Amino acid sequence: MTAAEDRELALVAAGGIDAEDRAILGRLAALVEATDPVPPGLVDRIGLALTMEALHAEIAELHLVGEPALAVRADETSIEAGTITFTTDVLTVMISVHPEGGRVRVDGWAAPAGEISVELHQGGDVTTTQSDADGRFSFADVERGPARLVLRRPSDPTVPIVTPQIEL
Amino acid sequence: MMSDDLVEPVDTALRDQGEGLADQAARAVLAYRDGDRGPLAALVQVMTPLLWHTVRAQGADSELAQDIVQNVWLTLVRDIESIRDPRATLQWMLVTAKRAAWRAVRRSRDEQVRQDSDEHATDWLTTPADDLPDAVAVRDERDRVLWGHVGELSDRCRRLLGLVAMVDRPDYAVVSRALGMPVGSIGPTRGRCLAKLRVALAADPAWSLS
Repeated sequence: MTAAEDRELALVAAGGIDAEDRAILGRLAALVEATDPVPPGLVDRIGLALTMEALHAEIAELHLVGEPALAVRADETSIEAGTITFTTDVLTVMISVHPEGGRVRVDGWAAPAGEISVELHQGGDVTTTQSDADGRFSFADVERGPARLVLRRPSDPTVPIVTPQIEL
Repeated sequence: MMSDDLVEPVDTALRDQGEGLADQAARAVLAYRDGDRGPLAALVQVMTPLLWHTVRAQGADSELAQDIVQNVWLTLVRDIESIRDPRATLQWMLVTAKRAAWRAVRRSRDEQVRQDSDEHATDWLTTPADDLPDAVAVRDERDRVLWGHVGELSDRCRRLLGLVAMVDRPDYAVVSRALGMPVGSIGPTRGRCLAKLRVALAADPAWSLS
């Protein structure tokens, strides 16, 4: 680099950031994003992990019973949901997933029967419903993707019961 | 190879430059402590791309990078009560992500050397423009020219500009400092990396005439 070039560079470097700099950086951001996009689902998985971390001290994990109806995803811990059953000492939950257009409906049943609060966690989003007296509940028009159910019994509301992550 | 840098306090002068990620992160930490997890969930949405590219810039492969980014968030939540200055949250997360990636990459490269393998994690931002996959949105000739000139910069400058591009003006200085670049490397002035790019672009007829 010649002395003149070095002086020019120093001058440009000392200048304030202007509209063209911002346009260049904006264009560069789009190129970086396109070249190496954040993997789909990462943000949702982090949201779920943080939710579980917040609940961690108080959860009883439900365990999967038998093989899921569809394949377990090889690349992560998610389970592809068809009809699956989870159980703990205090509660058994069966859910079935039905495609509805591009989305799904989730029907579930919890035993022993009783009105329990059921939350569907997807990323940072939580949808809450209440089961009927027979323990039946349903979530309609649900987006596909990783999800968990968190169930709270009126007899013991501070100990939520959480399913493993399932792939709807 | 980048060094492992110390965290410095966030420049208080940044406070008057408007709302940036640093401000949003500070508010999210305070809200979380008060029992409101919503702002942190929103922060995950907007800040994960920056963390992702910070980790990838250290040469971490995709799987490793996903683990590291998720871990940085979990560490934040686990330590959230002990953060003394919530305004330093963004910088702390960037430095934590960078260090974790740097250590993990060094470890895996050591292992690869032991296995006599020439395989390296793909270096970030070094794909020649002509090799970019078709799916990549090179929208026009200017994109191609810009990518070419960014590729000519030093590793340090390429990383700095690639990451600074991910944020708005109030966060430029925090991002460059977290990368271990000297104060003032970018924002409020251009600094040498952006200046080199501007000079190169100005001298390229394919850029200046289109």
